[in-house]
Amino acid sequence: MAVHPAVPLNDAPVTDRPAGPVAVRASGLSRAFDGRGILHDIDLEIRQGEFVVLLGRSGSGKSTLLRILARLDAEFDGELRVPDRPSVAFQDSRLLPWNRVIDNVTLGLTDKDAKRRAAELLAEVGLADRARAWPKTLSGGEAQRAALARALIREPELLLMDEPFGALDALTRIRMHRLLRTLCERYRPGVLLVTHDVDEAVLLADRILVLTDGRVSLDLTVDLPAAGRRHTQEFTDLRTRLLTELGVEDDDQ
Amino acid sequence: MLVALWFVATSAGWVDARTLASPAAVWDAAQRLLETGQLQDNLLVSLQRAMTGLAIGVTVGVVLALVSGLTRVGEFLLDANLQMLRSMPILALVPLAIVWFGIGEEVKILLVSLAVMFPIYLNTHAAVRGVDSRFVDLASTVGLGRIALVRRVILPGALPGFFTGLRFSVAIAWLVLVVSEQINASSGIGYLMTQARNIGQTDVIMVGLVVYALLGLISDTLVRLLERKALTWQSTLQSR
Repeated sequence: MAVHPAVPLNDAPVTDRPAGPVAVRASGLSRAFDGRGILHDIDLEIRQGEFVVLLGRSGSGKSTLLRILARLDAEFDGELRVPDRPSVAFQDSRLLPWNRVIDNVTLGLTDKDAKRRAAELLAEVGLADRARAWPKTLSGGEAQRAALARALIREPELLLMDEPFGALDALTRIRMHRLLRTLCERYRPGVLLVTHDVDEAVLLADRILVLTDGRVSLDLTVDLPAAGRRHTQEFTDLRTRLLTELGVEDDDQ
Repeated sequence: MLVALWFVATSAGWVDARTLASPAAVWDAAQRLLETGQLQDNLLVSLQRAMTGLAIGVTVGVVLALVSGLTRVGEFLLDANLQMLRSMPILALVPLAIVWFGIGEEVKILLVSLAVMFPIYLNTHAAVRGVDSRFVDLASTVGLGRIALVRRVILPGALPGFFTGLRFSVAIAWLVLVVSEQINASSGIGYLMTQARNIGQTDVIMVGLVVYALLGLISDTLVRLLERKALTWQSTLQSR
């Protein structure tokens, strides 16, 4: 039985808060594989506390961009300023199967306080009683929450997520969306979440970027209340617009 | 089943006692050998040889696997050579080993070590190479250095492969020991059996066989236990 996060859900509007210091600044970012251009001349700025969703079809270069920002790929052209250690949440939770959950959360941390903070964070994501469990015994949602705890314990200036909820069932995904929004309110990293799920983008984002063939083809600020978005006309309009941008006709009107 | 068949065949006189001793005769022989202390002494010698050889072979195998699995130079220098050597049956080295080293303790330990090293090397090397590169990415995003990467990610990730190698190795250790003790030794279970063969004591030969079988079984069980203990994280069906 999964334990629900014990955090209160904060419904304050996301857009009204002051933007923090710059977490990422990229200009003229390009990346080619064997002479084939994947990213072309990308300019990007994300501030701390800002939730940016990067939308794109498969093959549009979104994961490539994320890997560059995560400092996993240094073979790019252009200028890039990212924090020394951005936190990354991958599509698979990527917990080390041979370490217990809590040791996964503290992976790479050496300070004495790490264990205590990890326990706190696990409680925050609703996994207090699974701290000593082996990752293989976790459900998909639990594993992803543990991965989120591992990303946030570093109090990152920048949190990068590559389709973190892609493998979860619809109900778990809704719960994860709420949890993620609450945690980002609290820790206020700059967030770049990569997805191809338009609904997810419109639900979570302060700003949406659409990547088409390696170029940013749309950069939209989302001016919607943080909670109850789904039921506004703007949600529907925005959704239709994004789907059109991605080349899908929304015939669900 | 097999023991029952053996019992019936020998007691009914289908098989001549000089060809195959009956279980009762084997039991008597074992008692006799225990009383004179021959069995214990030779067993101890064999056990010591196997363990020493195993320890050396496993250590060398693991070190080589890590060097060639983790460094490009190591891979270049070691892997092709070891892959080539492994296709040679170790037992074919016995005559050469006798010429070089005589029939001392070192030869037997050397042969066991050498034979044990290959399965350890091959399996551990493959496991080190096979550690999921996604975990290596993860390690870099959480800022693990090279040593921490090896300690926290690569070694534990390669452990299941190492244990596969270890189980092969233990079986091979006994095999090589038996053969080399029968060819060039003045002590050990293999020697005991060779002596018995020379004077036609099938009961003693059978005792040796049973002891070898038991040793193989016990050591495999021990390795399995060790494996279960070290790889608790793999058994997913418990807890929860």
